[in-house]
Amino acid sequence: MNGKYAFARGLFPIFLFLTLLFPLPRGVGAAPLSVQVVGAGESRVNLLQADPVGGSARASALRKAVNDNLNLIPFIRLVNPAGVPGGAGVASAAGEGVDFKRFALAQVHLLITASWQGASQVELRCFSVADGRFMFGNRYAVGAGEKDLLDTADAFCADFLEAVIGRGDFFRSVMAFVKSDGAMKKDIWSMKPNGRNLTRMTNLKGEALSPAWSPDGRRILFTHIDKRSHGLGVCDTVSRTVQRIKFPGNTVIGPTYMPDGRVAVGLTDGRNPSIFLLGHNLQKERRLDESSAIDVSPSVDASGSLMAFTSGRLGSPQVFLKDLRTGSVRRISLSGSYNTDPSISPDGSLAAYARQEGGGHRIYVHDLVTGAERQVSFGPGSDEKPAFAPDSYFIAFMSTRAGARQLYVTTRNGGDAKRLPTGPGDASFPAWGPASRR
Amino acid sequence: MNKISAIRLLCLILALTLGIAAGCAKKEVGGGDEDDELAMTESERQAAANISNGIIYFEYDRFDLAAQSKDTLSRKAPVLKQFPQLRVTVEGHCDERGTEEYNLALGERRARAAYEFLLNLGVPASQMETVSFGKLHPAVSGSGEAVWSKNRRDEFKVAKPRY
Repeated sequence: MNGKYAFARGLFPIFLFLTLLFPLPRGVGAAPLSVQVVGAGESRVNLLQADPVGGSARASALRKAVNDNLNLIPFIRLVNPAGVPGGAGVASAAGEGVDFKRFALAQVHLLITASWQGASQVELRCFSVADGRFMFGNRYAVGAGEKDLLDTADAFCADFLEAVIGRGDFFRSVMAFVKSDGAMKKDIWSMKPNGRNLTRMTNLKGEALSPAWSPDGRRILFTHIDKRSHGLGVCDTVSRTVQRIKFPGNTVIGPTYMPDGRVAVGLTDGRNPSIFLLGHNLQKERRLDESSAIDVSPSVDASGSLMAFTSGRLGSPQVFLKDLRTGSVRRISLSGSYNTDPSISPDGSLAAYARQEGGGHRIYVHDLVTGAERQVSFGPGSDEKPAFAPDSYFIAFMSTRAGARQLYVTTRNGGDAKRLPTGPGDASFPAWGPASRR
Repeated sequence: MNKISAIRLLCLILALTLGIAAGCAKKEVGGGDEDDELAMTESERQAAANISNGIIYFEYDRFDLAAQSKDTLSRKAPVLKQFPQLRVTVEGHCDERGTEEYNLALGERRARAAYEFLLNLGVPASQMETVSFGKLHPAVSGSGEAVWSKNRRDEFKVAKPRY
């Protein structure tokens, strides 16, 4: 982002119940928030962008782009401007003279204002409607192109999330996922979580599954299955080349990178698929599990010390946690007879997984410290393959709730899942890459 | 260094350079397995059909062989031994209910169960391979036990490779 300065007034008091409903994670240096509970049982923030001050057509385009972005956030509900008595105009984007009562009557909790200086600079501010308090704001230099406008929207929305929940990585991240091109043809694609920069990363005969980003965001690992074999695919996102590596046993399931760039992956050595550690040269180093049952789907936290995985060692698939420093293993999915697809949060505090219930699967989040478990997806259809974002807050997953397989996002606390735009075709296996830093 | 030696050295450097470049080139995945297969004779085609026929089925989330499956495999083994030039790929499949990655592992165990039974009946390991497709390729579309029971299976694909 270019030419931006912040004019937040110290520690802003955020109205609302956000901290109660969306508690900040332990050990993360997020700004402290003061809380005003608006109403018992409320789980969403009602948000409205006021009519922009100046800027004409570019202002309308930016307003739409910001709305499109914020509409992806599970706890935000966009308020229809037509519901505001007297309309959504404001006398001043800086807050002076704004009649916040009109917005309060329309049940607006957060009001965003935009003030354009010419066509290349805009100030965006956020106010608490309950008390008219200024929360934060930034000035953004906007380039001449449409892409520049969308970049500005992404930058503001990242700053907005940073202010509201202490994490802005959602709009700074990149995702890989699997997109179907018809029967027996699946490839790896990438995009920003809001659907921008949608790019095909592979175009292979056969089916690509289970993408995983390298810690530096340069490579994407994946399982590749053709007519007769499994392979470990390695896609270099810079050179746009793909390698395929076969392993004895002809099984490659659910690869993931370790924080040091090595790889954990399900391979067959003898009778059962087991989790192996591969070195930087992708050669086998050693097994990471010890059971004689199926062990697959490793997920490792950002410190490289905790690994969640699926194991059939108790007769049916369950999620286990291994401390890679001590070697201790414990079961963490304590209910249900079929729990799979673990994703450990990068901060190591939570593990999400899919539990089979009735006609499909649902996503649950297990607190690795307290042992508390929370259901965060509710179908219908089947919700599978949860993936924690780099901020350990958002969770993407695949769902058939609308028929075809599509990607959705919720949070560690649940909330209304929002569909991520992935274009035509089935989409599955979401995988977050590292967030870019300004 | 005379002129001929210099040319030879230049050629050697050029060859090495091309070799390294080829080694670093994109290793795009392709099918292409058919190119490694030979046409079968009539007797081989009949043998291949005998091996391919007879899909074996599994219970939900299980990979142990039922008695009927063992009988089916016992009929395949002598044919495979009689035609050592044929190679069988045992494909493990699952129904739609589990998740993708665990089903890939389960399908591998199903394929491996048939592989090991055939191995114990004397079929050489070099004549067999396994691959799991998990729930990627159902034999029957739809839901319900009648459908699922048809999809929890091992299929046997036969080829005559260029050894």
